[in-house]
Amino acid sequence: MTWIDIANLIINGLIEGLVVALPALSMTLVMGVNRFPNAATGDFLTLGAYGAVVCQLLLGMPLWLAALTSAAVTALVSAGSYQLIFRKLAGRPMVSSMLAAIGLGFLLRSLIGFFAGHDQRTFDMPLMRAWNFGGIRILPTDLAIAAIALVVLAVVFVLLYQTSFGRQLRAVSDSADLARASGIRAKGLMLAMWLLVGAISATGGVLLGMKAIVMPEMGWEFLIPAFAAMVLGGIGSPIGAVLGALVLCVAQELSVPLLGPSYKLVLSFAVLALVLLLRPAGIMGRIQLVR
Amino acid sequence: MQRRNFVKLSGVAAALQAVPSIGFSQTGETFRIGSLTPITGAGSPYGTGMQQAIRIAVDEINAAGGAGGRKLELFTEDSQTKPDAAVLAAKKLIEVNKVQAVLGTWASGVSLAVLPLTDAANIIQMNVSGAPTISTLDTKDLVWRFQATNDRFGIAFAEICKKYGFKRPATMAFNNASGLGNVEGFTRVWKQRGGNVVAHVTYEPNRPSYRSELQKILAAKPDVIVMGSYLPDTTIILREWFQSGAETKWVIPGWAANPDLIKALGAEVCEGIISVDTVSNEKSAAYAHFDAAYTKATGKPASTNIYASMTYDMVVSLGLAMEAAGPGASVAQINAKLRDVANPPGNAVGTFAEGKAQLAKKAKVNYEGASGKLDFDKFGDVTPDFGVYVIEKGQLVRRDVVSIAA
Repeated sequence: MTWIDIANLIINGLIEGLVVALPALSMTLVMGVNRFPNAATGDFLTLGAYGAVVCQLLLGMPLWLAALTSAAVTALVSAGSYQLIFRKLAGRPMVSSMLAAIGLGFLLRSLIGFFAGHDQRTFDMPLMRAWNFGGIRILPTDLAIAAIALVVLAVVFVLLYQTSFGRQLRAVSDSADLARASGIRAKGLMLAMWLLVGAISATGGVLLGMKAIVMPEMGWEFLIPAFAAMVLGGIGSPIGAVLGALVLCVAQELSVPLLGPSYKLVLSFAVLALVLLLRPAGIMGRIQLVR
Repeated sequence: MQRRNFVKLSGVAAALQAVPSIGFSQTGETFRIGSLTPITGAGSPYGTGMQQAIRIAVDEINAAGGAGGRKLELFTEDSQTKPDAAVLAAKKLIEVNKVQAVLGTWASGVSLAVLPLTDAANIIQMNVSGAPTISTLDTKDLVWRFQATNDRFGIAFAEICKKYGFKRPATMAFNNASGLGNVEGFTRVWKQRGGNVVAHVTYEPNRPSYRSELQKILAAKPDVIVMGSYLPDTTIILREWFQSGAETKWVIPGWAANPDLIKALGAEVCEGIISVDTVSNEKSAAYAHFDAAYTKATGKPASTNIYASMTYDMVVSLGLAMEAAGPGASVAQINAKLRDVANPPGNAVGTFAEGKAQLAKKAKVNYEGASGKLDFDKFGDVTPDFGVYVIEKGQLVRRDVVSIAA
């Protein structure tokens, strides 16, 4: 193990972490505002990836345009699912919304499998050799993935912290009753947020497809790491979700020389347990007041 | 339900269970076979052809007047390549259709899930799965494997690496019975011959990236990487390997290094990959005969589906065992005859009709199948030959055939 090997491992972890950050962020937004873990997030990812595959295959779009189109479509599906399902379950216990989300995920996955088949698919994109900086190898594809993820994160944070939409959303997340009393109209706000959640997830799906392959189960398999990142970062904290994803993935990759790749998943959950022991609310979480 | 009623009802249920079930006489006029191939799921490219091959053999045996005085009756189900779905289908075949043999399970996970059911029902199970554990789990000797074990794939990999002059192999295995079986078989034989494996990783499924695993392997500077893998993970690993600019050769099982891999990655990435798969018994009379029948039934030559000839052989060897066991034989008696009709010594036969004629003359027969020589070892496993394919300009080109000792 040299410093160069460790640097490579950290780079791998950071890039993977940026991909995990997108679904983690989208889950944490729903968790903060609607107060349930959106188990369909993974399948929004899958939908986003397949949307881009369809745009490339049937319409011959370049990948960037296919990804944008697919993000728009997934955003609509996401907002539609809020309008038809989750809005109606708003007053119910968290479990009913969560189960509905699991059901929605199954539905999306089955539909995708039915129409697109279960064979793996890949995006049509050029493969480029890595740049080698004295042993530290950087893949151009990975750099593109990291750049896209960072741009999406930046856009989301500007929306959340620099616009009136973001201020209202955070107000609702802090206290829905108080926000309503101050005249914030929740309905349009919620639809806007679910559009955003869909678009973030779809972009994450395209990035995951660029890095790996596109299959009907891809997003579902990705749900647990995203969920873990969200919990680690502190539920409802957008910055926490991104930090949590980066910490988990870097810790995982760094454990490869020590534990071997079979146990790196275990290590990431050990990190999760440790942080939650020290800070029960997560890295950036606030202790919720018990009302 | 009120407690009183419940007590009454349970009393009735207990009484009913005490009534002896009406036994079916095993000397019925048909022998019932269940086909459980993967019509949907990951095995779907093969499952339909496998089912058709079973039907071809059943029709041939019935046309020749049946086996052991009985006609064969076929029931078909879809395993969906999923263990849970396969278990439901197997239950239906066993309990509703009362089949005496379940044929054609493809994925190791499916065979391992179905095997306890068939063993419990004391009926014959025939599969084309690779997991080594199937050999030892089958305590009643009712399970027959018509495909090489993953372990034997590993042995073939070692032969091929020796032949191509590789000195520093590394191994990568998908973390399940099949993937590990491949590389464990390879490593064992390679070390027995004084070789050394420079690095090994076992990796997890469904990862977005395998760069760290590859980094660990490539740090040992291997000249070839031997894989126990599937198509999705192989796609991701090879893409990252190519982009990292490393120069190694690859030896990959045929179900992972197939035309879909070339479609996903392009010809340049796949150039020079060595893909290893079992080959049918192409020079045999049985293969020529089956190829003609299969082409007529499906419009495709038998070479397009390596597993079709295996399932065809299942029915033919079963039919010959029934013939050898004589009229009215029980499943156990038929099962005991399978090695007799498939293994040497004996007069080599290539079709059921030939075998039936020989058996009528009280001769000992040795069925030389369409898929291989079909000599079952003590576990009921066969040792087929292996084809060595090299990917050149986006095409799989066969370069070699390797035989290994059983």
